[in-house]
Amino acid sequence: MTRLSGGLVDRSQTLNFTFDGKQYHGYPGDTLASALLANGVRLMGRSFKYHRPRGVFSAGSEEPNALVELRSGARQEPNTRATVAELFEGLVARSQNRWPSLGFDALAVNDLLSPFFTAGFYYKTFMWPKAFWEMLYEPAIRKAAGLGSLSMQADPDAYDKGFLHCDVLVIGGGPAGLAAVLTAARSGARVILADEDFRLGGRLLAETETLDGAPATDWISALETEFESLPNVRVMRRTTVFGVFDHGIYGAVERVSDHLAEPGDKVRQTLWRITAKRAILASGATERPIAFADNDRPGIMLAGAMRAYANRWAACPSKTIAVFTNNDDGHRTARDLAAKGVHVAAVIDARREARARGDYRVIAGGMVTGSRGRLGLRAIEVSTNGRREWIECGSLGVSGGWNPNVHLTSHHRGRPVWNEALQAFLPGADGPAGLLPVGAAAGHFSTAQTLRSGAEAALRALTELAIAAAPPVLPQSEESGYGVAPIFHVAGKKRAWVDFQNDVTVKDLKIAHAENMRPVEHLKRYTTLGMATDQGKTSNVTGLAVMAELTGKSIPETGTTIFRPPYTPVTISVLGGGDTGPHFRPRRLTPTHNWAEAQGAVFVETGQWMRAEYFPRQSETHWRQSVDRETKAVRSAVGLCDVSTLGKVDVQGADAGEFLNRLYSNVMDTLKVGRVRYGLMLREDGFAYDDGTCARLAEDHYVVTTTTANAGLVYRNMEFARQCLWPELDVQVISTTDAWAQIAVAGPKSRALLTRIVDGFDLSNDAFPFMACAELVVCGGLRARLFRISFSGELAFEIAVPARYGHALMERLMQAGADLGATPYGVEALSVLRVEKGHVGGSELNGQSTAAMLGLGKMVSQKKDAIGAVMSRREGLAGDIRRIVGLQPVERAGKVVAGSHLFTVGAPQNLDTDQGWITSACYSPHVGSMIGLGFLENGDQRIGEVIVAANPVEGESERLRIVPAHFVDPEGARLRD
Amino acid sequence: MTDLTAFTALGAAQPRLASFEALDIRENPELALASLALRRGSIRPAPFGLHLPEPGRWVAGQGVAAFWVGPDQWMIEAEGRAEENFAADLKQASPDCTVTEQTDGWIVFEIVSRSGRAPLEELLSKLVNIDLADFELGRATRTGLEDMSCFVIRRNETHVAVMGARSFAGSLWHALETAVSRLQT
Repeated sequence: MTRLSGGLVDRSQTLNFTFDGKQYHGYPGDTLASALLANGVRLMGRSFKYHRPRGVFSAGSEEPNALVELRSGARQEPNTRATVAELFEGLVARSQNRWPSLGFDALAVNDLLSPFFTAGFYYKTFMWPKAFWEMLYEPAIRKAAGLGSLSMQADPDAYDKGFLHCDVLVIGGGPAGLAAVLTAARSGARVILADEDFRLGGRLLAETETLDGAPATDWISALETEFESLPNVRVMRRTTVFGVFDHGIYGAVERVSDHLAEPGDKVRQTLWRITAKRAILASGATERPIAFADNDRPGIMLAGAMRAYANRWAACPSKTIAVFTNNDDGHRTARDLAAKGVHVAAVIDARREARARGDYRVIAGGMVTGSRGRLGLRAIEVSTNGRREWIECGSLGVSGGWNPNVHLTSHHRGRPVWNEALQAFLPGADGPAGLLPVGAAAGHFSTAQTLRSGAEAALRALTELAIAAAPPVLPQSEESGYGVAPIFHVAGKKRAWVDFQNDVTVKDLKIAHAENMRPVEHLKRYTTLGMATDQGKTSNVTGLAVMAELTGKSIPETGTTIFRPPYTPVTISVLGGGDTGPHFRPRRLTPTHNWAEAQGAVFVETGQWMRAEYFPRQSETHWRQSVDRETKAVRSAVGLCDVSTLGKVDVQGADAGEFLNRLYSNVMDTLKVGRVRYGLMLREDGFAYDDGTCARLAEDHYVVTTTTANAGLVYRNMEFARQCLWPELDVQVISTTDAWAQIAVAGPKSRALLTRIVDGFDLSNDAFPFMACAELVVCGGLRARLFRISFSGELAFEIAVPARYGHALMERLMQAGADLGATPYGVEALSVLRVEKGHVGGSELNGQSTAAMLGLGKMVSQKKDAIGAVMSRREGLAGDIRRIVGLQPVERAGKVVAGSHLFTVGAPQNLDTDQGWITSACYSPHVGSMIGLGFLENGDQRIGEVIVAANPVEGESERLRIVPAHFVDPEGARLRD
Repeated sequence: MTDLTAFTALGAAQPRLASFEALDIRENPELALASLALRRGSIRPAPFGLHLPEPGRWVAGQGVAAFWVGPDQWMIEAEGRAEENFAADLKQASPDCTVTEQTDGWIVFEIVSRSGRAPLEELLSKLVNIDLADFELGRATRTGLEDMSCFVIRRNETHVAVMGARSFAGSLWHALETAVSRLQT
């Protein structure tokens, strides 16, 4: 069949495209489906399970059959609906789920084996041996039954996202949507119109009826011109609103350049989050078929789709057509196609009282009971009052009525309501707040009704928003009836398809009924009805109507399954928002990042931060060499480490001391000005959650440091405590984490080094002892803060300067300390140093440890209350007898593996005999062997005992000696030096 | 004056500037920042003559400006004074209040349109979930931008400042630059 006359395609330009390697041409305005039909192609795909030949079934996003692999190379996109793929020059499409070709598909043998492939066959057939499911059955089934294939290459295109706000969002650009936009636009309200099609008009484009006696496109064009002139209106074509979320938020995907061969500089798609005060749902309706024997042959399609192809795209699948209907709408198809010169062989109207609406044969009370044609329809069998006849036709339009597209009204679990007169589910009253269904989506099927309902809903929305508006003058249009009869399938023994994409037949529904899978949700999962990529848009209602008939219940009693977003498939790429690779998530860089990079540092992610892990030298081939060297440098000379990532919170106010007393388990208000104290914070449930230092810079001014990981959490908890728990306290907090570059200067020569950069500040032990802090001036006039604290156990300081000077300060320290052996060290050496010193870190403060377990039981003050203090004394926590210990291998070369569990020598190794585990482990250059920290039952009383550390995953077991958790300078003389 | 060299949050000696078809993005390392919070019983001050704004608002004075950041708390900006100890000056101007230096806690990007408000608003709609109808001159808000917490300030019809934590500078620049470059196509 070639093109018909008329249509909304631009014949002044030709577009070339290929399908399965064969060259065709179409016009701008075509979809791939319309262009294929216009080129006489009816066979477009193979079905999911039986590999039955299939043709296009619909003319919109509900398409179950005509799925293709669109584009090639990395842009190859499986399961694309040919009905919504806009034709462009050079389009390449291939059919899918067939081998070796669409015309001859070897796997069509499945169709002969169909008795074995009925509903539930997976569950019954592939039971044993159990292990075969994962190894053999599932991969085999997936290979045989399936959809398109992936390119296995990275998506080369960019994706975007954005946020829009409006008074009124109109979803759908058909007559109801346009009437709503018109009403709202003229009121001055901010209006967004989102329409999934590339051309506004919706169903008006597919019909021949006039508005005010002129083609509907005249009215649409006038509106488009008006909307474009209004700054308060945004028209978004090729944009699908796919979901309704909380608080008036709608998810939408704009296909920015899907209609182009390549996006070029543009993004491919944009994900919009639209916040709308009110939304008008003008999503239209989807026609449903009537199921009959062999109703899936290419050429059999929805009657409304056949009409759309003829009227909008000037395409028809064949020269002779027939229509099978249970309502007046089917006759429109016959009338319109006859007017285009297509031969209408017959209209089979299941209603006995049916009569012709034009010059064509009507078979009243007739049913289609069969079809012929291997790769395309050749004839249909019609039964009327027991009489059977075969009618030759290349295409059959089927109309079983229209289902309003209620999906979005159900996204908040709103239940649609059955309407007996319309034989359809309509939006219920319990839909999302502020979402008003109109037009066909609300069950208004004549154009006049849809226009009115759109305008009225807009007026209602505007009134609710207190925006003055006037009803628009709507064009004169048809007030036709619809007259649908409740016929969903034709009884018979042969297979009659309900869900085309997932190959679910009436027979499958009967099996589900017989096997007691009767509730709709069971029915769906047992038969897979409605579970394909089309989510059963053309099949769900038919499926449950058949089930209702089988159970003897009414359709509303049978009910519907829950609709969930997305309305139509949404690509993962657009949901991801477009940033991939290193930009997948934001990174935080330290003030010395560039410097460290220049030194060849290897970085490690710690939360969002990138921190220097170690600084390899050219001669070093293994990370351990670098880490051992850095560790030794700190113990013997002086090391430098950027510790800016630690959280820093500025706490001020007359009650700052009292505030911190309540947050820390230990006392803070007795801390002297110019001094620092180690602090422990507990969660409300009594477990330890963060540790750090607290420095008192003035009577009413503290600076709190937190761990890197908990910086945000501690600050948030402080704000909560300040604003909500104790608003009566005079305390102000603010994060200063990023404001200061802080560098740890650690090692016996740290004082010597710092002396070289401070401006007249006495660093002697007397003037600035261990745990002192001060504000001072360095490097010729730069304000700085100095803290004499030590994580390594050596004489050590942390110096802070405004972040912009961090890089230069690090360079200066390296330069000034060259003769002292100043060495940069990363977090790996930092960790070795702290394990050697027995300081707890993230592995010990893991949310499951108590202060007592950490050896810090005395830090929970008995003299005052603090968050978590009371709960820390409860039986379950106070009774935990595990204590932190140091662990060292009995054999010097032995391994200490973090995560290993600890057992008494000779004891069986199971949960009952488990005595604890290793939390941290490393190689200690100081000790000369591996060492570890761990929690062990009564560990503090078992010093010297040998235990077994078991690592059953690796089949390893090691004898370890329990030692105090201080491998370096247990007396603490070095840090006080 | 220290002999150390300051580096901007983007890691260079000079601030970064990028010009696009309609928009310029300029890193502003010269802006001094300090937070100001009321203490119990303190009267709301008017530092440097600034009338401290209500929630969601920003006000500008002579070389200084302020925006609301929390209950009884504001961020005070001082153009061109980042190298000074501006916090100390502010404390002197509001002795009854808590003042905390914030200058280097933030990266500030000034985004200016050379073609009216439209390109700027189009950019914002790609970056932040703000209702632009209610985001006129003098509005300031804290919001998420590409998973980063930012302040967005409408300095005038064609000028918006985006402030993020300093350590996020590179990622924030990438987000802004990507979004602006996409507007041009």
